[in-house]
Amino acid sequence: MVAGSDTETEAAARLVSNARFADRRTWSDRIAGGVVRAGGIGIIASILAIVLFIFVEVWPLMVGAVVEPGPSLAVESAPLALAGDAYRTHVASLDADGWIRVRRLADGVETTAREIAGGGAPVAASADSDGRSLAALTGEGAVAAASLQWEIGFEGRTRVVTPKISEPSVFSVDDVALGAPIAVRDSRDGDARVVAAATDAGEIVVFRRQREVNEFTGEESASVAQSTVAAPADLSLLAIDDEQRSLVGVSAGGLLHRWSALDPAAAPVETVDVDEEITALAFLLGGRSIVVGTDDGGLEVWFETPQESGERRLTRIRRFPPHQAPIELIVPSRRDKGFVAVDRAGVAGIYHSTSERVLWRGSLEQPVTALAMTPKADAIVAGGPRGIEVLAVDNPHPDVSVWSLFAPVWYEGYAEPEYVWQSSSGTDDFEPKYSLTPLLVGTLKGTFYSLLIAIPLGVLGAMYVSQFMHPRLRNVIKPTVEIMAALPSVVLGFLAGLWLAPRVESAFPALLLMFAAYPVVIVATGLLWLQIPLRIRGQLPGGSEAIVFAVALAAAGAACIALNGPFEALAFGGNFQAWLRDFAGVQYDQRNAIIVGLAMGFAVIPIIFAISEDAFSNVPRNLVSGSLALGATRWQTVSRVVLPTASPGIFSAIMVGFGRAVGETMIVLMATGNTPIQDWNPFNGFRTLSANIAVEIPEAPQFSTLYRVLFLAALLLFVLTFLLNTAAEIVRQRLRERYARL
Amino acid sequence: MPFARTTDRTGTVFSWLCGGALAVNLVLAIGLVGLIGWHGLGYFWQASVASFELRDGSALIGEIHTVEEVPEDSAQWAGEQRMRVKIGNRDLYRLDFRWVNESEIASIEYPDDLVVLERLEWGNFYGRMRELRRDGEVIASGPQVWTRFGEVYEEKAAEREAVEALERGPIGDVNYAIEGLRLQRRRLEMAGDSTAGRLADVDQRMAAATARYEALAEELFAMREELKDTTVVMEAANGQTREIVVGEVVRSLRPNAMGTLASLRLYGSRLWEFVSDAPRESNTEGGLFPAIFGTVMMVFLMSFAVAPFGVLAALYLREYATEGPMVRAVRIGVNNLAGVPSIVFGVFGLGFFVYSIGGTIDQLFYAEALPTPTFGTGGILWASLTLSLLTVPVVIVAAEEGLAAVPRIVREGSLALGATKFETIWRVVLPAAAPGILTGMILAMARAAGEVAPLMIVGMVKLAPTLPLDHHFPYVHLERKFMHLGFHVYDVGFQSPNVEAAQPLVFATALLLVGVVIAMNLVAIVVRNRVRRAYSTSVL
Repeated sequence: MVAGSDTETEAAARLVSNARFADRRTWSDRIAGGVVRAGGIGIIASILAIVLFIFVEVWPLMVGAVVEPGPSLAVESAPLALAGDAYRTHVASLDADGWIRVRRLADGVETTAREIAGGGAPVAASADSDGRSLAALTGEGAVAAASLQWEIGFEGRTRVVTPKISEPSVFSVDDVALGAPIAVRDSRDGDARVVAAATDAGEIVVFRRQREVNEFTGEESASVAQSTVAAPADLSLLAIDDEQRSLVGVSAGGLLHRWSALDPAAAPVETVDVDEEITALAFLLGGRSIVVGTDDGGLEVWFETPQESGERRLTRIRRFPPHQAPIELIVPSRRDKGFVAVDRAGVAGIYHSTSERVLWRGSLEQPVTALAMTPKADAIVAGGPRGIEVLAVDNPHPDVSVWSLFAPVWYEGYAEPEYVWQSSSGTDDFEPKYSLTPLLVGTLKGTFYSLLIAIPLGVLGAMYVSQFMHPRLRNVIKPTVEIMAALPSVVLGFLAGLWLAPRVESAFPALLLMFAAYPVVIVATGLLWLQIPLRIRGQLPGGSEAIVFAVALAAAGAACIALNGPFEALAFGGNFQAWLRDFAGVQYDQRNAIIVGLAMGFAVIPIIFAISEDAFSNVPRNLVSGSLALGATRWQTVSRVVLPTASPGIFSAIMVGFGRAVGETMIVLMATGNTPIQDWNPFNGFRTLSANIAVEIPEAPQFSTLYRVLFLAALLLFVLTFLLNTAAEIVRQRLRERYARL
Repeated sequence: MPFARTTDRTGTVFSWLCGGALAVNLVLAIGLVGLIGWHGLGYFWQASVASFELRDGSALIGEIHTVEEVPEDSAQWAGEQRMRVKIGNRDLYRLDFRWVNESEIASIEYPDDLVVLERLEWGNFYGRMRELRRDGEVIASGPQVWTRFGEVYEEKAAEREAVEALERGPIGDVNYAIEGLRLQRRRLEMAGDSTAGRLADVDQRMAAATARYEALAEELFAMREELKDTTVVMEAANGQTREIVVGEVVRSLRPNAMGTLASLRLYGSRLWEFVSDAPRESNTEGGLFPAIFGTVMMVFLMSFAVAPFGVLAALYLREYATEGPMVRAVRIGVNNLAGVPSIVFGVFGLGFFVYSIGGTIDQLFYAEALPTPTFGTGGILWASLTLSLLTVPVVIVAAEEGLAAVPRIVREGSLALGATKFETIWRVVLPAAAPGILTGMILAMARAAGEVAPLMIVGMVKLAPTLPLDHHFPYVHLERKFMHLGFHVYDVGFQSPNVEAAQPLVFATALLLVGVVIAMNLVAIVVRNRVRRAYSTSVL
């Protein structure tokens, strides 16, 4: 009894512990299940988040400018001209009483001021569009211009900007009163200043003031040269470009005149008719493009284009969507080819010439009398009777649009719209040319030539292995082809670029000869093979011919190379490249599309081979047996039964191969010249999207336009290959279902 | 009957053409591997050195590299043979190679006394030994020079090793310590004035380290001077002489006097140098050890990341997720990621790992080093993670296949015996699927070893001064840049100033890379076949 109760307690204890154990197991099972689920979903989600991240990096390209109202300053009268500093700390204004006043934006305190137009209110005013100087036409018919200097110092870790207004320089002509319009432009180093002003006599007087600093004494001296050009009497606007090379003016009837400021001739170099009355005028960064605003609210960009005759003429390049009121003022950005325009109703807009984008439009809610952009193009300073307003501008990527990335764009200095990729240059005022089209064409070109080689070799080879070859032999051949897939593309690229390219260059006719000779050699070898008595042939595993063919082809290849000289002499007059140049007008590049086709074809063959081999060998046996039983020959069965049944699988193989070729980087990087030119000539190099990323992204600063454009290229590659592969996968699954049903 | 025969005949011809296509593939595959093997292995072989006498009276010494027909565009020599001779002596001739036309040659001889000196700088020197000097005085001349040189060389080689050991060891340590102190000081400065006492302490340690550095530098300087005291006077082909510091000679040989055994020993020693030494002369000479090390370390780091995640995702997809259109779509998506171009992953790695994560880490933990980035620039960690993203689909697909291949009965048996689902997976399914998963891992590693494009963006460099693994705490430096075999092929083959001379080395590198990748693939194929056989023959 005692013992019995003992066993009972023991059993009870065991039961409890078993239950605990079971509990623990259930719990651990649940926890493990949860971990696997969470981990699995997390990993898959994060893999798929790659595309999201890339998209997020690209998205800002598509967004316009964000403009936020900033500090505003009250004024006594509407300013005539304005300028701001690079750190948005101060604003300088030329006021109606002839004073330049610099006010601090933080508290509106006037930090410095100077009277430049002595003797009352200025008749007209002008600001250098880079904000380096302000000029006023005085009542006495002289032009006074003062430069603004923003001295930057540090108090501890805080930056302090100290504005200075220089002693004004006064430009006047004896006996002649200068009149409106006037224009001023300082050189980048501030040493040369050009001032232009109209006279009543139908002339423009151009002053060029050169400042020189004596290196020993530190003394400054200035010399002023003066010249006169003939101009229409009703001149209404004048502008000088950044390089101080040319001067443009506007007269009634929408006429735009251009003079050379370097060499002032008596008459305008050129006059064009803009059709509408011009109400605003500005040079864009770099001084090549001219923006005009018209009295019907239109905005147009003009620049000189080379003509067939060899001269250059001002040409209307593009128009922007018009404003509702006449354009009042235009100021260029000092960072890019963009500009700000404001109309008489106070509606302003931010535009970019290259991308033809309207980045922002909004009302300034007062008639604007003076407009400026800060040096970093991060603020608009607008002045009117109600005060000076500073609007913060966030406009990181004005220079590309979907249109400019894919369609032809008329770049400065080009004769017509073109597709160009040229992301950088030595100068600051360079117009970046981001056209992805030549790169897309390059990608397709490389893919085309490599598929031209890979499809027949891969598909036919797979057909032979799966249909004609004995399994024993197949088990040796298939891994050999799989090894081809494993060869690193950098090695293929190296061989193609450094080993193959120079050899093909010197023996291109031999390559042609090989293509022609191969079918002949194979048929001849096959006929010879048939001469071997069936007794011996029958003992070899099926498909042994292929090994014999390989030996014959290797020998034939060597023979073709040996025959290169005589063949070249016979067919191409001894020099293939000269022949190509003379007869086809084509230059032979050493690293060209054919080399890439061969190397990338080699990389794609095993992919096409593997997938189509799979499709061929999975064709249901009963179909093949049925066909053979009905008396069809082996080839008839293959061509009429196996091939049609497996064709979706082959399509899917080609799609996957296409995807691989599209994204291949190292081979194209090493085996082409990487020149982004757009043509289909097999003897030229090209640049693909992928190689372009590899070449350019190390030079692209984070979040720059180039950086985001390269991300866009990556996104394109991702989407393209993903779609191709998905299509291939779906086709393959359908095929599998069909096989299962057959 | 005649109809049947005709169709059969055309059919046979077509089948031959298919066979021909396969034959082309085979010729290409075998030819390519053979080409790399031939050139790659040939790199280590020492050719005989020829002494040419030319018709214009001048002489040449060098190795004959290739013999070919003169291209037709040079009318003067058309139809003739010419040879490319490696003449070395870059300090005298500037170029390593020159072409010699057959008709220019009066005679070619292979005298035993021709010497090849492999040097630390300026490449090989070809010529004859004339004198051995110590501190400017002749200590050997004439025929004894060669034997005497051997002794001196041994002595100097030991001295050079000592110099290198000093540079790598104590001096490297002191430099590392100084850099650490500099950053510590900067950190204290950024923290504010309250730490002035510690600042003084750091300054004191800095002064001590600097003093130690100066002492070591002086020692190094003295050793270097001593290394330079012995020179050998070499006479080039046309009688120009050149005094070469013995301490700068890596290897000296008289190839024409070497027997087969000596040649093979030399071959072995060069092969060893190739895999164990650091590169010289902007990677065009010396060994590849840092690149091999970098490649291996990166692949292993990648494996650590990819194996658990890949298997976890596969387990979820195959064992836990309810089969349906959603899971099927995810599976296709994951599968297709394997086909997304590698450069896309590189771009992602740059934007996400390097700039976003690395940049944030720098601001939080390495602010004292800014603006020099620590993690905010390409490095081995980011390269490995980028590659693991690239290869994770391969592992997921292979692991899923492995899991799917485990027969249903096995699971049901385990479940019927009362095991929970996780126990079944952990104890029964995973071990059975392990070979399949392993195959996937090997394929992933092979792919990672050969991949270059994404790494060019996220962390490889031409020449890394330090390995990402060393004796300085914390021993593994994941932020460091590294060298890579694949990038070495690209860089030396296309960016080096002396592409011509470097090409044989590139072939050797390519051979090494191809060898590693093919070996891994073969292992994967064998494992896969074993697994298939195991399941097809098992009673289960």
